[in-house]
Amino acid sequence: MADRLKGKVAVVTGSGRGLGKCHALALAAEGAKLVINDLGGAVDGTGAAKGPADEVVEEIKKMGGEAVANYDSVATPEAGEKIVQTAVDAFGRIDILVNNAGVLRDRMVFNMTEEEWDTAMKVHLYGHFNCAKPACVLFRQQRSGRIINTSSIAGLGNMGQANYSAAKEGIVGLTRTVAIDMGRYGVTCNAIRPMAGTRLTLTPELFEAWKKRGMTEDQIKAMWPAPDDISPMVVFLCCDEAANINGRTFDVMGGNIGLYSEPYNWRSIYKKGIWTVDELVDLIPKSLSRGLQNPSPPAPPKE
Amino acid sequence: MADRLKDKVAVITGAGRGIGRGHALLFASEGAKVVVNDLGSARDGTGAERGPADEVVEEIKKMGGEAVANYDNVATWAGGENIIKTAVDTFGKIDILVNNAGVLRDRMVFNMTPEEWDTVIKVHLYGHFFCLKPACVLFRQQRGGRIVNTASTSGLGNRGQANYAAAKEGIVGLTRTVARDMGRYGVTCNAIRPAAATRMTVSPEMEEARKKREQTGAAPSGSGLTLNALPPEAIAPLVVFLCTDEAANINGCTFLVHSGEIHLMTDPAIEKSIHKNGRWTVDELCEIVPKSLAHGLVNPSPPEQPKQ
Repeated sequence: MADRLKGKVAVVTGSGRGLGKCHALALAAEGAKLVINDLGGAVDGTGAAKGPADEVVEEIKKMGGEAVANYDSVATPEAGEKIVQTAVDAFGRIDILVNNAGVLRDRMVFNMTEEEWDTAMKVHLYGHFNCAKPACVLFRQQRSGRIINTSSIAGLGNMGQANYSAAKEGIVGLTRTVAIDMGRYGVTCNAIRPMAGTRLTLTPELFEAWKKRGMTEDQIKAMWPAPDDISPMVVFLCCDEAANINGRTFDVMGGNIGLYSEPYNWRSIYKKGIWTVDELVDLIPKSLSRGLQNPSPPAPPKE
Repeated sequence: MADRLKDKVAVITGAGRGIGRGHALLFASEGAKVVVNDLGSARDGTGAERGPADEVVEEIKKMGGEAVANYDNVATWAGGENIIKTAVDTFGKIDILVNNAGVLRDRMVFNMTPEEWDTVIKVHLYGHFFCLKPACVLFRQQRGGRIVNTASTSGLGNRGQANYAAAKEGIVGLTRTVARDMGRYGVTCNAIRPAAATRMTVSPEMEEARKKREQTGAAPSGSGLTLNALPPEAIAPLVVFLCTDEAANINGCTFLVHSGEIHLMTDPAIEKSIHKNGRWTVDELCEIVPKSLAHGLVNPSPPEQPKQ
């Protein structure tokens, strides 16, 4: 066991399995005390079981670490309060919040139901706020704290994921603003866009599709980076060496780690006063939109 | 009246006042038939009255245009469906959806209540989805349509707006994905980040503070955002442009609009990266990241000493 996070208390949501479990074990390996939050739901978020969180707690204890389980859903404000309170009750404080719990409800936008939209919003975007808010109250009082949020490259646009990409890019907007609200109190808030093979991403449908192309289950799994590869960056963002990194978003995929740029003005046109539509019709195709690629160009109807 | 959008049917949410009203009038002047949606609420989103939507409809009719009012709330599934249905019932179809309705509940994140969070996410982010979902069903059938969403520079981070920033950047993510889901059906979906002086952005408190600053000499006269600066009508020409044939290839993009300035913004892209075969250790990252990825990063809100 290393001790970069000795004495720190960390909450990791959705840490019964997958990425969250890897984060929890990596934080514990650096000496942090852990709250293992997991609803223990099925892959579609339904149901609940104490098993997954309890197993991770056991694993940490076997490593010689300290951990406690919490089984609340992040999707309500009351539960967010309880998750953070679990850290305070068990270990007297909270230093680190890793918002990780997530769920998928993929559907083309024209077929998406209200329930599919709402579930993704509540677990990801509300879930992040529900835990960040009570943590920020304490972080402000103690004038320190770290928040790592989980976004996704799907926030940059991904077919069939209108709900998920809205939630995940919303998390980036939340991250940037929490960084500004909390930075002066010695808190940092950053986000990762991880890519890894987990229960959420390696779906039976995906296996089916690739097997049809003649690939074995092991070959398919090997195409996706292991979830353990993501966690060192999360742990790093909680270390003293990362104290000045605030409000940024990182791509993490296997051994590749990238810093994302923030959106900036790429091409510009100026006029004193208000543009007319005719002027814009004339000018924009030659300037702002020249050479732009349509990410999904019109296709002829299927017969 | 021009005719770049002749016979097109446009739905504009929150079109009773401010930026939305500017959109409605310009769409009508280009020949579009307009559904003027507005809940007619107070500045904080409470209450409802038909006046604002009705007045814009009257204004369009006086110009010789066609328009109909709708008073539904975008923040519910049924409200969104009813808004789109108003277009179909009145004008037989819908070609254009401009998602514009919005509300503010500014608060530092550590003081933000669940209600303040929920109201903003529901009106902006849910409101966008609830209108564009039924529109997309029809756009797909007719293999054509335009969606213009309203994001904000606050999505890039703005103090005291955790709810608004999350909603607005969520709208950018939504825009990118709807562009990909719908592009093949001849639909485009883009977003603007407008800056304008409206009832929503220039609050009575801000007006008060500005006057105080000017009176005490803390700021030169005319330096703050006033209701006369950044006219909301300045936003509409770009939005109309995005609905013309000339913009058919612009899909999934975000534009910043600010009076006579229009910028095409980039999407986030990896600007620096480190690579290793296999898993990094925390020790390696502590050594390398400060020298590489994080080198020169500026904390947007550096730690301060406690106030005495």
